[in-house]
Amino acid sequence: MTAAPALSLIVHTRDSAATLPALLDSTSWIPERIVVDMQSTDATIALCRAAGFRVIEAPVTAMVDAIRNDYLDAATNPWILVLDSDEHLSADAPEAIAQLLDTQGSAYDAFGIPRFNTIAGQVMQGSLFYPDHQIRLFRRGHVEWQDGHHHPPKVHGGRLLLLAPPCLHIHHQNYPSLESFIARQLRYTLSDSYSTDPASFDFADYIGDAYAAFAKRHDTASDGDLSTALATVLAWDRVMRGLIHWERTGRSKPLGEAFSLPVVVQPGATAAGQSGRAGQLRRWFARLPAPVKARARRLRSRLSDLAGRLRRW
Amino acid sequence: MDLTVVIPSVGLAALLRTCIAHAQSALASVNEMTSAVVVVDNGSDPPYRAAALGSGIALVRFDLPRSFAKACNEAARHRPAARYLFLNNDVLLEPGTLIDMLSLLDNYGPGICGARLVLADDTVQHCGVRFDGGPRGPFHIHHGRPSSIVPRSPVRFQAVTGAAMLIDGAAFDRLGGFDEAYPFGYEDIDLCLRAGQLGMPVLCAQAHDTLHFESTSNRKPNRHAASRRLFFERWQGRFTIDGDTSQ
Repeated sequence: MTAAPALSLIVHTRDSAATLPALLDSTSWIPERIVVDMQSTDATIALCRAAGFRVIEAPVTAMVDAIRNDYLDAATNPWILVLDSDEHLSADAPEAIAQLLDTQGSAYDAFGIPRFNTIAGQVMQGSLFYPDHQIRLFRRGHVEWQDGHHHPPKVHGGRLLLLAPPCLHIHHQNYPSLESFIARQLRYTLSDSYSTDPASFDFADYIGDAYAAFAKRHDTASDGDLSTALATVLAWDRVMRGLIHWERTGRSKPLGEAFSLPVVVQPGATAAGQSGRAGQLRRWFARLPAPVKARARRLRSRLSDLAGRLRRW
Repeated sequence: MDLTVVIPSVGLAALLRTCIAHAQSALASVNEMTSAVVVVDNGSDPPYRAAALGSGIALVRFDLPRSFAKACNEAARHRPAARYLFLNNDVLLEPGTLIDMLSLLDNYGPGICGARLVLADDTVQHCGVRFDGGPRGPFHIHHGRPSSIVPRSPVRFQAVTGAAMLIDGAAFDRLGGFDEAYPFGYEDIDLCLRAGQLGMPVLCAQAHDTLHFESTSNRKPNRHAASRRLFFERWQGRFTIDGDTSQ
């Protein structure tokens, strides 16, 4: 059995009692465990204290990523592991992490750990939900989180190793249902920051992003119909963000009429030419005013470029 | 009496669910016993979900495939019990087999009890392990013979298979569990020989046949090679040569 590495765990919580037990159990081997709690009113703090965590009380914030930087100095060990309250480790994580730091710790300052995400009862295999590397294990002072939700942190010095499966994983019980996924996504959308400068806004960018989000996430070969559902939600998320941004900029720019919703044409319908869904879309397009059609063609050109880049990527 | 059923498994989720269903059915047939099933997910991709395996299943996850020995030991630490039943995921336990195994340990005292296992064609896969001289070493007696013609008296052996092995909890702790130095195979024989050195009985329940598909997870021809080398390094000349009386 390899000796436990000099490691500190930092977990941020807010009313996390329901998901914490798996994390508490799976990290009991870590020599120093710290919880940064944002004013929980449930049993979160009691559970953590009972498990031997050092508790730091923190104000509530919606920007959960950037706030991590403020508490990294609380760790006293040279290596830091950051987990969310709904994540846990496997039973062989002590051995896997000890071996990783022993063999790679001198060559790298940070490790991207793949994450198994469980959404609506399904462990995701693709759809950009896997391998979903998370930079959570790093040498103290080498990682800095950025503003916004779910942006990867910066690794100072750049010595980052993304672990390749089979290997250590983070296990994430994300969302018990599709409905909870939608609710959380909307919460992120509503709490994110948006520029108020009208020059920063072009609704076509958001529409393009929506198509791109769908194209990137739609992976039925890996995740079946759930992939379609999640890709649709994330495409709509881009549209919602566009509308919020539009309002924050004083609604001073046009939205581009009808091009606000992502539309997917079934391959079979496209092949049918004038019949089916594709034919309906063409007839509908022909009735649009000329300026709208011109704008749509520009958008289609941009999307075509984007699709080309995606294929090359 | 409290029993933990330990099932190490990788992939083969449908087979695992069937194995669990049979184990739970067998457990339900035993009176005055508390029990739980602990599945060790030995690096499945994607990981098992406890809810998909059935109600009341405890799940221990390894991200990387670990040895059978480590998986069993981890599960025993996860849920300590008065007795452990180690079960392969391709064994469909019969209620009569479990009752027979429990009864034998009750009668003979703290030790180890294996089970008669048959292949799909009703031939013997396991009904005890004997030791031959020379390079053969330990082997499954009566392997491949019709189970109906193999006597069913509960014979004592030097070793039985870990594919379906009941062991007294205190005895398991005293032995320090399976030896994790064995990568794949022979850890069960090693455990039994160490138990024998301490005077513990090693038995095999013969009254009922339990189906074992055998080597469903790993069919590589040399899968036991490293463990076999280690076994002979440790035990050559230290086990009793039974010979093969079944031939």
